[in-house]
Amino acid sequence: MAEIGHGGKEIRERILAPEEAAAKVRGLPRIPVRSQIANEIIDIAYGWFCPLEGFMGQEDVEAVCSRMRLKDGTVWSIPILFDLSQEEVAEHGIKVGDSLCLTYHDQPMAILEVEEIFTYDKGAMCQAIYGTTEEKHPGCARTYGYKDVFLAGPVTLVNRPVINPPFEPYFIPPLEMRKRFREKGWQRIVAHQTRNVPHTGHEWLMKGAWLQTYAELPIEKPLVGVLVNAIIGEKRKGDYIDEAIILTQDELKKAGYFGDHNHMTSLTFWDMRYAGPKEAVFHAILRTNLGLTHHMFGRDHAGVGTYYGPYDAHRLLATVQDELSITPVYSMNWLYCPHCGEITSEGLCNHRDEWQKFSGTVIRSIVQDGVKPPRLIFRPEVFELVLECAEKYGFGSPFVTDEYLAKRTPVFTIPPLQA
Amino acid sequence: MTEERYPINIWVNEERYEKLKAAGLADLCEEMLAGMKVIRVYADEAQKNEILRRFPTAKFDSATTKSIELLPREVKDRIFHKVVEKKSVEILGEFLEED
Repeated sequence: MAEIGHGGKEIRERILAPEEAAAKVRGLPRIPVRSQIANEIIDIAYGWFCPLEGFMGQEDVEAVCSRMRLKDGTVWSIPILFDLSQEEVAEHGIKVGDSLCLTYHDQPMAILEVEEIFTYDKGAMCQAIYGTTEEKHPGCARTYGYKDVFLAGPVTLVNRPVINPPFEPYFIPPLEMRKRFREKGWQRIVAHQTRNVPHTGHEWLMKGAWLQTYAELPIEKPLVGVLVNAIIGEKRKGDYIDEAIILTQDELKKAGYFGDHNHMTSLTFWDMRYAGPKEAVFHAILRTNLGLTHHMFGRDHAGVGTYYGPYDAHRLLATVQDELSITPVYSMNWLYCPHCGEITSEGLCNHRDEWQKFSGTVIRSIVQDGVKPPRLIFRPEVFELVLECAEKYGFGSPFVTDEYLAKRTPVFTIPPLQA
Repeated sequence: MTEERYPINIWVNEERYEKLKAAGLADLCEEMLAGMKVIRVYADEAQKNEILRRFPTAKFDSATTKSIELLPREVKDRIFHKVVEKKSVEILGEFLEED
């Protein structure tokens, strides 16, 4: 059965069989890539980026910047680029028509067939995608950090990544994910985008979205699931460590706050651009390809600082809703009301003067102080696991430190190519 | 017009509560999140800026609580000890001078 992804195109993995790979890369110029590009190669090859088959050419970039579409009209909101310096292009004598062996940590990872070599005004790209040209915007900083020349063309994986513990159960590419959804019998699946260890505000965001998604479906057997899809990419100091994020999200199910019948945890490799509304559209595309039917969007989805209004993403999604195969589920904030004595929604409770709002920063501060929070705020199983992860993976801290960045086990490695 | 002051939230577990009680400061504890106790040490604008400069992991939560968060645990421990030692929460100036 064909699996249809974003834009109505069939999802096909672009991965060479091991017996073909060694011969195909033999003699090709070897170009090392950094982690962002390696992540995006995986996303292209396994179908997270369907209908993209490789890195974008100039016409696609122009269309994304000016119309939030690929050149063929398919909705797309973030440029996917492969950059090199003029010197690297000259040093390897790279020209249109060449094939390159892209390596990661010295191991062959993929083949890029160069169809186009071009330059692009990075400031104009920032203004179009992020609505600003300020270098302090992390998406702009990433854009300005690109080297000067972009290479476009199809990408084929020659060597599957080995996902290292504890992440391996959570790497579920689109075709496999869709199979698992069928096995579970879920008719609707709602995405929870996260880069956080869950407090009960997050837990209730998921529970609320699950109820919204269930809507008119019959309740005799479980038909709706929540997919926690953690974004794994570049880390900044002070973020929660990846291991704590993925394991604690799964712990909500293991400890019974959800169950196998309605909850699953997975990861997507992606370096956040913090593009707010444009990133919301992009997340909708990623999760469409994973086979989800619904996507939760809260306030200021994927925003940063004060660049975007709290509901800008919702408004932009509405403009392309007819062309997306995923239904947005808009979530109000959840908070603790001492009068009600429970977690409640700001859309329900009217004890406004008594509300105790969740702040991710305050919760992190509690965790940092090592003071056990009440179970109404932070599930004890989750808190214990955060502390365990700090010891086991974080060099004593649940938050990213210089030591963690230097010494952590990478989420994935590329093994030597089989001869 | 009174100058704006920004709290540093020091979360209070049982052990800390006993120390605050002994220092006669238990009444200063407030309940912040679902019964979780906190004692607040306040910074003025200049002290807030100095703290954010001196401890780069710290963050001013401008969106929700208007408080200074994510100070390293050992810094918070030292602030707490200073509170108990001086039997007062007005200790930040002295703390910054000594640190």
